[in-house]
Amino acid sequence: MSYLEIKNLQKRYTKNGPLIVDNMNLSIEKGEFIVFLGPSGCGKTTTIRMISGLEEVSGGDILIDGESIIDKKPRERGVSMIFQSYAIWTHMTVFDNIAYPLKLQKLPKAEIKKRVEAAAKATEIQGLLKRYPSQMSGGQRQRVAVARAIVVEPKLFLMDEPLSNLDAKLRVSMRTELKKIHTAQGSTSIFVTHDQSEAMSMADRIVIMYKGKIEQIGTPMEVYHDSATRFVAEFIGTPPTNFFDVVIEKEGDGLIASGDGVRYRVPQKLYNAMLPYVGKKVDMGVRPEFMEVSEDMEKREGYMADTVVNFVEPQGSHSILITNIGNTVAKIHTIEHMDMRPGTKIAVNVKNDNVMFFDCDTSFRIK
Amino acid sequence: MMDRLNIVQKTVVAIILAGLAMIVIIPLLFFLTVSFSNATEMSQFPKNLFPSTTVTVYVEPEEDGAYELFYDYGDGNGYTSVITTSSADKLENHFNRQYGITIDGEELLADFEQTRTDGPMEFSYKKDMLYNFKQFFKIIPNAGAALKNSIIVSLLTILISLTFGSMAGYAMARFHFKGREQINVALLIVRMFPTVGISIPMAMLLIRMGLFDTMLGLALLYSVPNIALTSWITSSIFIGINKELEEASLVFGGNRFNTFMRITLPLAFPAMAASSMYSFQTAWNDTISALILTSENQTLALVVYKAIGTTSSGIQYAAAGSIVLIIPALVFTFIIRKYIGQMWGGVEL
Repeated sequence: MSYLEIKNLQKRYTKNGPLIVDNMNLSIEKGEFIVFLGPSGCGKTTTIRMISGLEEVSGGDILIDGESIIDKKPRERGVSMIFQSYAIWTHMTVFDNIAYPLKLQKLPKAEIKKRVEAAAKATEIQGLLKRYPSQMSGGQRQRVAVARAIVVEPKLFLMDEPLSNLDAKLRVSMRTELKKIHTAQGSTSIFVTHDQSEAMSMADRIVIMYKGKIEQIGTPMEVYHDSATRFVAEFIGTPPTNFFDVVIEKEGDGLIASGDGVRYRVPQKLYNAMLPYVGKKVDMGVRPEFMEVSEDMEKREGYMADTVVNFVEPQGSHSILITNIGNTVAKIHTIEHMDMRPGTKIAVNVKNDNVMFFDCDTSFRIK
Repeated sequence: MMDRLNIVQKTVVAIILAGLAMIVIIPLLFFLTVSFSNATEMSQFPKNLFPSTTVTVYVEPEEDGAYELFYDYGDGNGYTSVITTSSADKLENHFNRQYGITIDGEELLADFEQTRTDGPMEFSYKKDMLYNFKQFFKIIPNAGAALKNSIIVSLLTILISLTFGSMAGYAMARFHFKGREQINVALLIVRMFPTVGISIPMAMLLIRMGLFDTMLGLALLYSVPNIALTSWITSSIFIGINKELEEASLVFGGNRFNTFMRITLPLAFPAMAASSMYSFQTAWNDTISALILTSENQTLALVVYKAIGTTSSGIQYAAAGSIVLIIPALVFTFIIRKYIGQMWGGVEL
């Protein structure tokens, strides 16, 4: 039995309305750091609001430690939450903010003081306890929200895009901070974000959601290297995966993916999987990092297209080459040809058979 | 804005502002002076802009233990004979009524004794500055009760308006129900009715309910437009309070009630303060509804109104009554000013 169990969870805002969360199933182990990742409107926030009890469940069940919580009030569920706006109460001092849940539990004053101070120490805001939130920076308010969340020693930590209101630099450092606190407290956490780099850097497992459904559950490495659907391949990675419409053709004892400006020999390991698709259209996806450029126009192993560089976007550590392959704009990540001039003719090869094919109808990966 | 103007423009602006300030301040100041003036000063022309604190009389000794009193009315004729008497009672009465000085007649006679040896001379006496105020409560015996009534009716109005108005405002801000828009407009329409216009039906209603001539009945009438106003003001504030603040409370151990009491209400306090100011203003200032809806239990505004309307002499007492009416309103406004400043001062909620 897993620690948190989500079974066939459904959410509709109106009767007979669309399913915002569509039959979601998920098991989370104790101590895991789970990230719900997806574009806005994918149902990720709705899901954690249902776990916290702020939103009613339309169907299915949620269990913590084997016990169903969907009929319980938010305060009875033993969860704590960090909100996008921090939800720090401006009319209370930092101390009162953190002590609020303990005061409602009617704990003795000495114990409240002890626990608030411990939480303040863990979040490094000991010196701010007497201040009011209006006298504090965004990062400090964020820490107060974290302190309030850990002071109750929750069964489950819910975080609803907690970093999205911080500036870029602080966001990156708070990431590390949150992960550190998670590990130190030994808590189980669910973190909601639409920022993939946040998800990749923090998560033990990422739950990628799209239109109310789970697209893939996996470690950051899995979702990147072994994307289950076209959506995941497109959503994970910067710049996103390049997609080409191709038709699979048989040629000799091999298969060729052929499309507008693209001609690519399907790797041998995919031969059996791709055989049923001969004569059919599929989506071919190649990550910018796995595209190799040769200026001498040599058709090496993994050759897929000839093209001309339109623009070069230098990024310091690497450059992004922007080209047109057929009518598709393709972005290529390069470290060898950082100072390539626009207008250069190049041949594009796929590195080490790092290609993904997706079924056009189901959008599932073919493998 | 002032920084961007040159010296000429600044001067012009300053003159205009000073002029406007004078227009507001001078009548108030004059009114204040009137409330501190004695009967003699009231009959003087031109009047002083600032109230005097002492009265000076010139005394000449007369036969049979009598004294002749002279007073300078400031009309250019110098000292004018006012009264000649040897009676302590008459002197005491004269000083009291005409000069607003509370002093024993025998004491005056003893003072004047000096003129027998030293010849005619001037005597100065301190005015009782609160004479008119005391007199106001003396002349109008129910003024004290009226002050109490006014305070009661104001507090009741604030209480009723805030309780129902803020609940309605909260519902309007947080819940989406059928007829919400209609109720919103209806609340506004309620405010459109002049209170006088609904006074007669209200009087009939209150008589039937047994609330005629009671402060509760009056407070109910005043609350009608103010519940509407309060719900408008508070609902706009409740909308501005981030829902996550309440949700955080729910997650961290609160139920709906203590979340409202501990989180929502304190955050909406400036709106409450502003609404209570309007409620107070209605209840404290009204005369016409009180005139219709009360007989014995009058409010202070009504009493002052009647005092002004019925006294031909002694307008200074009515002025004193008006000051009594103004002071609590000023005090109340200053107390809640801070919170209203928060509401319209751009402080983040």
